[in-house]
Amino acid sequence: MAFELLEHPADIGFRAFDESLPGLFANCALALLSIACDLSAVQPANRYRLWVSSGDRESLLVDWLNEVLYWFDGKRIALESFQIDHLDETSLIATALGEPRDPVRHPAKLIVKAATYHQLRIEERDGCWMAEVYLDV
Amino acid sequence: MRIETQDGLRHRIPRDESRGMRTDVVVYASEPMMQQIRKDLSLEQAINVATLPGIAGPALAMPDIHQGYGFPIGGVAAMDCEHGVVSPGGVGFDINCGVRLVRTSLGEADVRPRLRELIQEIFRDVPCGTGGSGRVKIGPRDLERVLTEGARWMVANGYGEPRDAEFAEAGGALPGADPAAVSDRARERGLPQLGTLGSGNHFLEVQYVEEIHEPAAARAYGLAEGQAVVLIHSGSRGLGHQVCTDYVALMNRNMARYNIRLPDRQLACGPIESEEGRQYLAAMAAAANFAWANRQGILHFLRGAFRRIFSTDARLDLVYDVCHNIAKRERHDVGGRRREVLVHRKGATRAFPPGHREIPADYRIAGQPVFVPGSMGTASWVLAGAPGSMAETFGSVCHGAGRLLSRTAVRKGKDARQEQQRLEDRGILVHSETRDGILEELPEAYKNVDEVIEVVHQAGLARKVARLRPMGVIKG
Repeated sequence: MAFELLEHPADIGFRAFDESLPGLFANCALALLSIACDLSAVQPANRYRLWVSSGDRESLLVDWLNEVLYWFDGKRIALESFQIDHLDETSLIATALGEPRDPVRHPAKLIVKAATYHQLRIEERDGCWMAEVYLDV
Repeated sequence: MRIETQDGLRHRIPRDESRGMRTDVVVYASEPMMQQIRKDLSLEQAINVATLPGIAGPALAMPDIHQGYGFPIGGVAAMDCEHGVVSPGGVGFDINCGVRLVRTSLGEADVRPRLRELIQEIFRDVPCGTGGSGRVKIGPRDLERVLTEGARWMVANGYGEPRDAEFAEAGGALPGADPAAVSDRARERGLPQLGTLGSGNHFLEVQYVEEIHEPAAARAYGLAEGQAVVLIHSGSRGLGHQVCTDYVALMNRNMARYNIRLPDRQLACGPIESEEGRQYLAAMAAAANFAWANRQGILHFLRGAFRRIFSTDARLDLVYDVCHNIAKRERHDVGGRRREVLVHRKGATRAFPPGHREIPADYRIAGQPVFVPGSMGTASWVLAGAPGSMAETFGSVCHGAGRLLSRTAVRKGKDARQEQQRLEDRGILVHSETRDGILEELPEAYKNVDEVIEVVHQAGLARKVARLRPMGVIKG
């Protein structure tokens, strides 16, 4: 598992890991979506391009997760894998595989309202990147 | 952290300049509750709220306070309209999340025999929105009207009865809404979700009035012992969530422009009178109106389900509709001076006392009705606003029992089917879209709602009117 769930009195969070920062951003997106739906039911049928720009690394992560959530809840596209093609301090471009959401196969497990800045952490330690993010559910 | 206990109900954290506090924090809680409250970050979060520019009077915490993100849940903060800030996080992602109580012409004894059928019927007509869309079908042009007219548009378009909108806070439509301030993304998320309940702690409960505590107020609200009622808890769905997301991001980008420094980025804010502040408030009002329309749509389909199961003559009348995630411009006495303030209620309910002109005429002698849901296995309360709320809490009171255990902690070692049966043995039928919906919202996840109510009653913020017991519960 590239991520684990974190407790919060009312909501839910996750701690994600990866050897690289782009991999960390990809794993954070997977953590978010696996809280929102059953990822194993999503087919990698189509390829989608996502991009985000923001003020700094922390807000880039929050904005990235809210972008992925908008694809799920607004555009109604379920994504199951991510490749980060470009990442710097303030922008990100990614390729994702997935398919349009089917109400029967892809119901929301838990309706996620948003990713928040609450106790947000992004750290590198001994060659491993770690992020902690809390979601409002 | 220094906490001065005043009378066993009020606890003051004095202003500490070293922490950037501009004012005190006052917490309403019993001594045992206070021990519990100190275990999470909610008091730290209340202290952070006390650092916001332009805060008027103390930062307040109700007895249902628990840790949120940025602001604590169960918090009230009034900001000076001239010099203060507005914080989207101080309203929350679920803008105008709120509760409406519906009284029926049926009694508990009428409903019980056909409860299972009724719950299934409602479950079909009022989806949670986890899969498909809601049954209120509107196009983008109708959405513009919904964003400005709220529940009134729904009533005018066949989704309700004329008195419904009158009996909602702000008449079911907040003035100052500007659809242009709502992003295309927010519209896209919200449009198919009108008339859906949502998941998490949102619910629809068929209940009965178990005991009346203040007969005169209960009579004014049309409530009698043994009467079947329905409590609906829902908000602005994806539309409100996206409005908050958009404006937290905007405020974060632009805060440096106003030289605002905060201990937590989730508190991101801008001056009320800035372009960002005005735009957010216009978008927030639009999302609030969407929420009132959403709860109105739910009421409409609820009526249909009741009338199909019982009788076409069954009456379902809205008692009132209150919001508990909102920022509203109101006039209050602060430091002996009447001032216009923007009252942020994040998990707090307006509770205006008897005589206030914003209360519907039928209820003006009793005071504004307030609904405080407990949990699906315990009870919910009907309160009436009391003069203490205007004197101390900017006309506000608690909004729920307050969460005690995390979602992961409460479900540990439990089986959804067994828990469902355990509740059924106690006369509470639970229907949920997901197993998690039951486990994560079990009664033990929440504080004791009766203790929460006792605090606000004793403190003179609101009066106990009636206690409601659940019979049938629909969870997301």
